[in-house]
Amino acid sequence: MASKEPFMQRHHFLLRRLHSFTGVFPIGVFLIVHLTTNASIVWGRLGVATEKSHGGVATFQHEVEFIHSLPALLLIEIFGLWLPIAFHSILGVYYATTGKSNIKHYRYQDNWRYTMQRISGYIGVLFIFYHVATLRWGWTWLPFASGFNFREASSTTAIALRGGSEEIGFGAVVIGLFYLVGVLMLVFHFANGLWTAAITWGVTITEQAQRRWGYVCAGLGFGLAGLALAALVGFVTLDIDEAREYERARIIELESAAAPDQQAGQLENALARH
Amino acid sequence: MVSPASHNGSNNGSGAPARSRTVRFRIQRCEGPAKPSRWEEFDVPVEAGAGANVISCLQLIAANPVTVDGKRTTPVVWDSGCLEEVCGSCTMVINGRVRQSCSCLIDNDAPNDGDVVTLQPMSKFPVVRDLWVDRARMFDSLRKIKAWVPIDGLHDQGAGPRERPKTQQTRYVHSTCMSCGCCLEACPQYKLEEDPDDWDTAFIGAAAIGQVRLFNKHETGAELAGERLDALMGPGGVTDCGNAQNCVKVCPKEIPLTEAIADMGRAVALHGLKKFFRGK
Amino acid sequence: MSSVNPSSKQRVIVVGGGLAGLAAAARLVEQGLSVDLFSMVPVKRSHSVCAQGGINACNEIARQQGFSEWMHMDETLYGGDFLADQPPVYEMTHWAPKIIDLLDRMGVPFNRTGEGYRDLRLFGGSLFKRTHFAGATTGQQLMYALDEQVRRHEAEGKVVKYEFWEFLWPVIEGEGDERRCVGIVAQDLRTMQIRAFPADAVAMATGGCGLVFGKSTNSVMCTGGAASRCYQAGAWYANGEFIQVHPTAIPGADKCRLMSESARGEGGRVWVPRKKGDNRDPRQIDEKDRWYFLEEKYPKYGNLVPRDIATREIFDVCVNQGLGVKGENQVYLDLSFKPREELDRKLKGILEIYEKFAGEDPREVPMRIFPAVHYSMGGLWTTFTSEKRRPDPVMDLDSGLNEVIGLKLGAPDTMATNIPGLYALGEVNFAYHGGTRLGANALLSCIFDGLFAGVGIANYAAERADAPASDIHKSVYDGAVKREEEKVKKFIGDGASGAPDTTTNPYEIAKEMGDEMTAASTVVKTEERMLKAMDKLHELQDRISRARLSDNAMWTNQNLSFTRAVSDMLILAEAILAGGIERKESRGSHHRSDYPDRDDANFLKTTIAEFDPDSGRPKLSWREVHQGLAQPRVRSYGKIESAAAKTDTAPQVAASAAS
Repeated sequence: MASKEPFMQRHHFLLRRLHSFTGVFPIGVFLIVHLTTNASIVWGRLGVATEKSHGGVATFQHEVEFIHSLPALLLIEIFGLWLPIAFHSILGVYYATTGKSNIKHYRYQDNWRYTMQRISGYIGVLFIFYHVATLRWGWTWLPFASGFNFREASSTTAIALRGGSEEIGFGAVVIGLFYLVGVLMLVFHFANGLWTAAITWGVTITEQAQRRWGYVCAGLGFGLAGLALAALVGFVTLDIDEAREYERARIIELESAAAPDQQAGQLENALARH
Repeated sequence: MVSPASHNGSNNGSGAPARSRTVRFRIQRCEGPAKPSRWEEFDVPVEAGAGANVISCLQLIAANPVTVDGKRTTPVVWDSGCLEEVCGSCTMVINGRVRQSCSCLIDNDAPNDGDVVTLQPMSKFPVVRDLWVDRARMFDSLRKIKAWVPIDGLHDQGAGPRERPKTQQTRYVHSTCMSCGCCLEACPQYKLEEDPDDWDTAFIGAAAIGQVRLFNKHETGAELAGERLDALMGPGGVTDCGNAQNCVKVCPKEIPLTEAIADMGRAVALHGLKKFFRGK
Repeated sequence: MSSVNPSSKQRVIVVGGGLAGLAAAARLVEQGLSVDLFSMVPVKRSHSVCAQGGINACNEIARQQGFSEWMHMDETLYGGDFLADQPPVYEMTHWAPKIIDLLDRMGVPFNRTGEGYRDLRLFGGSLFKRTHFAGATTGQQLMYALDEQVRRHEAEGKVVKYEFWEFLWPVIEGEGDERRCVGIVAQDLRTMQIRAFPADAVAMATGGCGLVFGKSTNSVMCTGGAASRCYQAGAWYANGEFIQVHPTAIPGADKCRLMSESARGEGGRVWVPRKKGDNRDPRQIDEKDRWYFLEEKYPKYGNLVPRDIATREIFDVCVNQGLGVKGENQVYLDLSFKPREELDRKLKGILEIYEKFAGEDPREVPMRIFPAVHYSMGGLWTTFTSEKRRPDPVMDLDSGLNEVIGLKLGAPDTMATNIPGLYALGEVNFAYHGGTRLGANALLSCIFDGLFAGVGIANYAAERADAPASDIHKSVYDGAVKREEEKVKKFIGDGASGAPDTTTNPYEIAKEMGDEMTAASTVVKTEERMLKAMDKLHELQDRISRARLSDNAMWTNQNLSFTRAVSDMLILAEAILAGGIERKESRGSHHRSDYPDRDDANFLKTTIAEFDPDSGRPKLSWREVHQGLAQPRVRSYGKIESAAAKTDTAPQVAASAAS
């Protein structure tokens, strides 16, 4: 039977469930990895193995290098991240428009979270776009934007978080707050989404199960929020000059360790870009 | 009541302070579909301890429909039935919250002289007149999800299936749903749909989802389980729930609607998987 | 039965979507007919949802203990003080187990035993557990099961529902013996459109008339208006004077809500302060200052005396002795001395109702309760065709019966009124309950009526398959519509009605009617008081004819519907009162202090009220009660007799029943 139903209606269930699924995997999982990685700027600093002042920078740099060493990174990014995020965002915004918050009259905690889930989604979409566009795609023409170089992961990140400047000025306040709000919104969105996903898929059925899973999700949320805050504080308080010192040393280290052929050439290029 | 107790206050005891007071009713009125709505205010004398509720006050207004400005108006139109919170008729929005007007006691909700009680029709259903709305869509939803046990017929064929007490208890509580519409009014995902053509694709709401659980849990009722789940998988089905969970909080019968939603979420997921691998 | 089939053009109208109406609709569809179902409310919101306690039927466990359908029949007849026609009661009680099975198959969530069988509870009027129940909302559960079956038929196009339509008049064609009911006139309560609907048979299932008595336990649509209109159109109204007053209800400003007898079953004590005007907080009144009057007067049964004794005693204490709590007509029903945990375990549901509506926690303070009008045993007169059967295997040997009499299934006159084609089912008819209804028999009688009589109604329609109502000349219907439109015009007036004064305000008239009927024609009646009430009714009839409406809109005008109903209720009230005046005896719930004894010689008869269109007054006549199964005997309920003898109140006691 040739269906006259619009695409969205015909595949209603599949799309709804894919939307729910992509929120957890890969997006949610990536969020955990990403925030953990970023927070290494702090927990690396606390480490004992490396020199203290360089610890965070070193650890973060190692983490970033690991990610960039993955084969076919671009494909992973496109199919594992950008497309799922785009799918989740576009459908999410569409679905969000089907509801109308009534928090004014029904001031329940669950209803607040319902409303916040949608608000955090909207803000999250804006944030992710700015974040990826500036730091990954290099759209430095965006306001307060600067780029990211994975060979100089800590310093370029710190500059980006300061609104494209090495000083803490107006741009730093704007972008710092934007990052703070954006990241916390995403963390909330994920933690609450994980809670609702368990209902959506019928994992937690009884009220008690839902409450218990709620505690788990809240714990996860607060944990992730802690990581996110740590990373933000870590980058904002980073001594950029010291970081550069380490990064340069690391580049040379890699250069000398590598065979003096194409790999070295790549490193040169990377440095030249900066 | 035989020989009704006098409510004029003269006989009231010293133990419980009986105070005559005036409660102001702000009522959102509307002459009919597509007509503009307006507010009218009425002062109603209420005596403490006499069991006054919103219904009895509306009855007083109907008998003497004069607004606070002394303007004579028409009696307020509203829907009511059992007045015991089992028929679901008299649901309305009282002070911004949806509930049955019969169980809204004035002594609790407007204990002081001059307190204001605001009455509005439910916003998720088309207004017929004043506080009376048309909830036909709720009954249409029951049709959509085939809310019945497909028995062979009315002839005597012995007892029905035996049932474990636990299953009975789960079913019973869902079977107390009186289609009042509170869960739908409070749901941010449930919307007013004037055109019956849109009913099939708009979110069906918690009440009907609870009924799917009720009938799918019955041995004979489960005969139609697949069709009910199909209905819940389509547009407007259980997938459209936004998990605000207001439904369970405003349900006057304390039906575990969110449990039903989760249970049906699982059921449609499994049903969908089975259908995918089995094919048509 | 199978020789004639209804034609596809034929339709049957069912008016009322409660248990009886829904059961009839489902049966008629199964018999091959199309049904138009009319209801003033969405059928799922019908008054049947208010029933709480359960539904009686003999069952295997009771049977093994010596109970039987025969005993169920005997209890019902005994409870009804032998006023009920006996064959329908025989048939109903013998169908009861089958009806429970059917409801079970429909998915009613009856409470279950550990093994998964249907659980049972003990109820008034019986020594056996024979009452099936689904939580504390049995009526609601049965209603929904039938509603669901009818919705299924509706989805298949076999039932068309007309919800928010008010029945205005039966359309009757022909004169004298030739007359028959061929449809109805009804009004859409939203658009106010008045239309005629042809039908080959019309089944009235419109319930009781509690609102005639003002505040009752009934729903707001239980005006008796539809019954009154049939009565005015020529249908007989039978045993109208038999109105059941339930002893324990929660007085409210808008209605009275039932407090189930199980509160007393779990140890609840009824009392009032001994001293008149003792207005202390009940918790501060010492034991010695409390009068547990039921326990004192009936040492054996105490608070669990049967319904109408309790009702009359409470009434006596409050009205005659003026000892009601805080000077009002109310007594304490006290559970507050019992452990909270035990109360919650056993009575949570009903205590929550009290808490919700009275605003007080009955676990802390005694409940304040008073009797309230609850059920109408009387109603439209209906007939049946009896059928002789072999005696039951389990039957009282003393009866000496060689045969028994039941009802013939499929007889076209089953539950037919005196107007051919017009049927009455459920509370709106007078069958089954006689002088008092046993608790948990109402649900049974309604469903039985629909299921059993539905077959007969279908056969009646089938007999007229070659002359269906659809062929009847349009003028018959147009005339009927016109008459109803005239009535509306009369009420609405010229649209310049303005403010009604108290004499012409329909709400005021309704209140006065309720007060008067309650005072004159409920718990204790006297000729003098009833005659006075009759005068009052005539005054009110005159006033309602001049009623002024405060709403002239022709859109969802509840004012009009209400005023019209009040006008019809006043006429029905007259029939109820007339029966009460003429029945110079006490029987069941009809208690006359001027004639305190049962008088089988003169009054073991059905009261028939026939509306005289010329005078507008009821004409009374009497019909013999169909007997032959149970011999009328003194209705003493065993031990109560000696206790009752100590008091000066009613020696005749009614069946105990809980709701």
